[in-house]
Amino acid sequence: MKNGLVGLDIEERGEVVVAHVTGELDIAGAPHTGERIAEAVPTSARGLVVDMSTLEFIDSSGVAMLFGLVRRLSSRRQELRVVAPRGRPVARVLEIVEFERAAPIRADVEAAVAEIA
Amino acid sequence: MKGLPELFDVRVQARSLAYLFLAGSALGLLTLAFPHSDLIKDRQLIILAAVASAMAVAIWVWADRMRTWQLHAALATGTVILSLANYFVEATVLYPLLYTWTALFAFYFFRLDVALAHVALIAVCYAIVLIAVEPSSPVVLWLLAVGTPLVAGLLISRLLARIGAGVQDSERRARALQESEARTRLVLDGAPDAFISLDGDGVITSWNTAAERLFGWTAAEAVGVPMRSLITPPEFRERHDERRRALIETPRVVATQRYDVELLRRDGSRFPAEATVSKIEIKGEPFISGFVRDVTERVRRQQEREALLREQAARAEAERVNELISGMQLLVDAALAHRTLKAILDDLILKVRGVLDADAATILLAEDDERLTVAAPSGAQPPEGEDAAAEQAASIPIGEGFAGRVASAREAMLAHDPAPEDLPTPALRALDIDSLIGVPLLAENRVTGVLVVASVAPRRFSPEDLALLRLAADRVALAILHARVYQREHKIAETLQRSLLTEPEDLPKMPGLEVAARYEPAAAEEGVGGDWYDVIPTASGGVGLVMGDVAGKGLAAASMVGRLRNALRAYALEGHVPARVVEQLNRLVWTEAPDSQMATLLYMVVEPGESRIDWVNAGHLAPLLVNGSDPPEFLEGNGSVPLGVLPFPSYETVSATMEPGSSLVLYTDGLIERPGEHLDDGLAELAARVREAPDDPEQLCEYLLKTLVPSGGASDDVAILTLRNLPFVEHFSFEFTSEPEALSKMRSILRRWLHHAGASDRELAEIVTACGEAATNAIEHAGAAGRVPFEVSGRLRGADVEITISDEGRWRPPREGDQGRGLALMRALMDTVEVSPSPQGTAVRLRRALESNGGVE
Repeated sequence: MKNGLVGLDIEERGEVVVAHVTGELDIAGAPHTGERIAEAVPTSARGLVVDMSTLEFIDSSGVAMLFGLVRRLSSRRQELRVVAPRGRPVARVLEIVEFERAAPIRADVEAAVAEIA
Repeated sequence: MKGLPELFDVRVQARSLAYLFLAGSALGLLTLAFPHSDLIKDRQLIILAAVASAMAVAIWVWADRMRTWQLHAALATGTVILSLANYFVEATVLYPLLYTWTALFAFYFFRLDVALAHVALIAVCYAIVLIAVEPSSPVVLWLLAVGTPLVAGLLISRLLARIGAGVQDSERRARALQESEARTRLVLDGAPDAFISLDGDGVITSWNTAAERLFGWTAAEAVGVPMRSLITPPEFRERHDERRRALIETPRVVATQRYDVELLRRDGSRFPAEATVSKIEIKGEPFISGFVRDVTERVRRQQEREALLREQAARAEAERVNELISGMQLLVDAALAHRTLKAILDDLILKVRGVLDADAATILLAEDDERLTVAAPSGAQPPEGEDAAAEQAASIPIGEGFAGRVASAREAMLAHDPAPEDLPTPALRALDIDSLIGVPLLAENRVTGVLVVASVAPRRFSPEDLALLRLAADRVALAILHARVYQREHKIAETLQRSLLTEPEDLPKMPGLEVAARYEPAAAEEGVGGDWYDVIPTASGGVGLVMGDVAGKGLAAASMVGRLRNALRAYALEGHVPARVVEQLNRLVWTEAPDSQMATLLYMVVEPGESRIDWVNAGHLAPLLVNGSDPPEFLEGNGSVPLGVLPFPSYETVSATMEPGSSLVLYTDGLIERPGEHLDDGLAELAARVREAPDDPEQLCEYLLKTLVPSGGASDDVAILTLRNLPFVEHFSFEFTSEPEALSKMRSILRRWLHHAGASDRELAEIVTACGEAATNAIEHAGAAGRVPFEVSGRLRGADVEITISDEGRWRPPREGDQGRGLALMRALMDTVEVSPSPQGTAVRLRRALESNGGVE
């Protein structure tokens, strides 16, 4: 589903929820997208993988969304992984804001899901 | 043998005889009145006098009907009565005097021989009387001695003479009669016409040769048979009897009668005949004789002549009707050949004037139930100082003036020498109108209008002209009514259509792009077309260009345009790629539009940031791309079927590069199609015009309309949409509204600018991210102040990119946490970041040197 320029697809792989975020994530779509991802993760889930491998653009509001998800999941003792292949603009931004100090960044969805499950 | 007696008719003779009897009677009674001998027997004498008087009266009364023999008998009776009277008075001298009167009467009125017979009777009677009274009287003896031989001799000689003469005469007469009869028969037989005579009972008594030929019956067969049963058809027998009886009973001989009858031949066939009938009397017996002529031929010729006359009349009538109908057809054709009211009215006026050879004509249309408005020019020259256009504004109340009366009476009218106030327009009043025809245009039982035709002397309209117009009026009225309804619908459709098309001045303004659009309805007003265009800004700062043509016209087409437009906007907003959008639209047309409705569509998405265009063409004319000074190029390649033709056609998105400074031209067929011209010629012409046209989209549109659309207007609707991708400039400046949605547009412009500035993909992404942070701050600064604009400007100084984002809001120092990350990102991504807060607002200047150092492309 699309919201503005952002696309969001949620899938459940066993006890892991995978959120595929596509398009461009800025202040126009980030707060709402964050809400919807958080709602899609049941308390019973082991964790969440936010797939940003095809996301074309992210700014500080997108980063804020990720930090918000980290906070909500850690309070429920759920794991979070972000998928952002190196060299992509998204990975560059996450690197600058040192996101890896909050949650691990992985290069592909399979590896991330396997880690949590 | 003919003599004096025949000078008198029977009536005169009878009346004279009556006088004689009366005189005798009076004389007898006179005898008694004087003193007379006892010998006279009074009683007997009175009786005789009474008998004589009675006879006198009877003869007088029946004088008309007396026959000759009855006269003789009466005279003889008179002689006997006289003799008896003599006997009773003893033979006085007075009575022989009466004998003399009687003889005189006989000699006076009768033929000589008859008269002599009466004299002889008198002599005999007198002798008898004398003998009876006084047998020995010397007078008697003398009379007997002299008289008897005298009378006898006289009688005998007379008789002998008669016999001799009679024999001779009868022979001659018989011969004459025979000859006469033979002649008559010959004449009758030789007569060309049948001669038939009937007796009083209707039995045939003569039947000539012509009758034998005519009827097939021989004289031997016909004579003695009643005519009614032989040659009168059964149904006419009664009539025959009536006529025959009437003829017979007529007392006198009547004039010849002529009858047209139908008679039967022996073989049973019938024929029309003319009978010339008269009544004759033969020896006191009435007969009917008549000539019968077969008039079959005459009747046939008569019928032929009548048929010929009828045929001539019918032919003349047919020619008249034919003329009428062809005239009417011309008018009806004029009414049906056009769809717009104006075209119908103009053509009608022209044709009416031609058909009726009229000098002027006009049509008034009923605006409501009260007024008529002149709706078509009369074709006459308006008088000096009058405007031809003003002629059409004239309006008259129903019921007033000639046209008004025609409308209120709902009847065609013909008027000669009309009064000026009867003429609805100044142009007509200026003419010397001799006659006028007004016909109400009735459709669906309402007066739609009035057709008025005027003629200047010497041409005068006839009732035939009136009839022609009346015939044409109904159909013309219906055509006009339909055209008016159509015009109304047309107006609705046009309004709807207009509401669907974004007015050129309301087209969205997008940084780096200029668009212009034009929509020109067809000149002929043949119905609002289904041409449409749309310009849809995409979230990424690009633009979707739509040019389509829904088949059909009018309301149906306009509403289809509306549905397509809304659906396309919705699908585009969802961010589908062009091919998916068009597939969805195809489903819409295929499943929901009426049968056979289809639409061509060209949907192009221009992403200025990437200098790329993506498009799908569903059966529409290929758009023109003008890249710099290259010849205009038609973007062909992936044309597919129009929408609504197939349930699942494959539409594919085609892409092309669109350099800065290049233009796109989208259009509908009205721009390039001209009657009688090949489509390729129209396309070549368009390419040539585009090449020489100005770059500015507005001017480009104007130029194309001016050079390609005929001055009178195109035959079909024309829609044009032009877009120009602004050329790269080293310095740019755009304003954005302070809303989150502006961010993607700004990024799009920056990408394009940076791309042309020579930034690498990585540099491009990082600079765009940094600018996005600055812009997000600017939007936040605007805060509740609403849509205060913020400005983004860029400048390329050698390899240095300098971008300034300035707002009019208050600078808020970055707080720790989320918001602080924006500044951190800017600093990390750019070489320098300068924040300059001021009371008027905040400016953030970002600088970075491009590694590639490529400069402007």
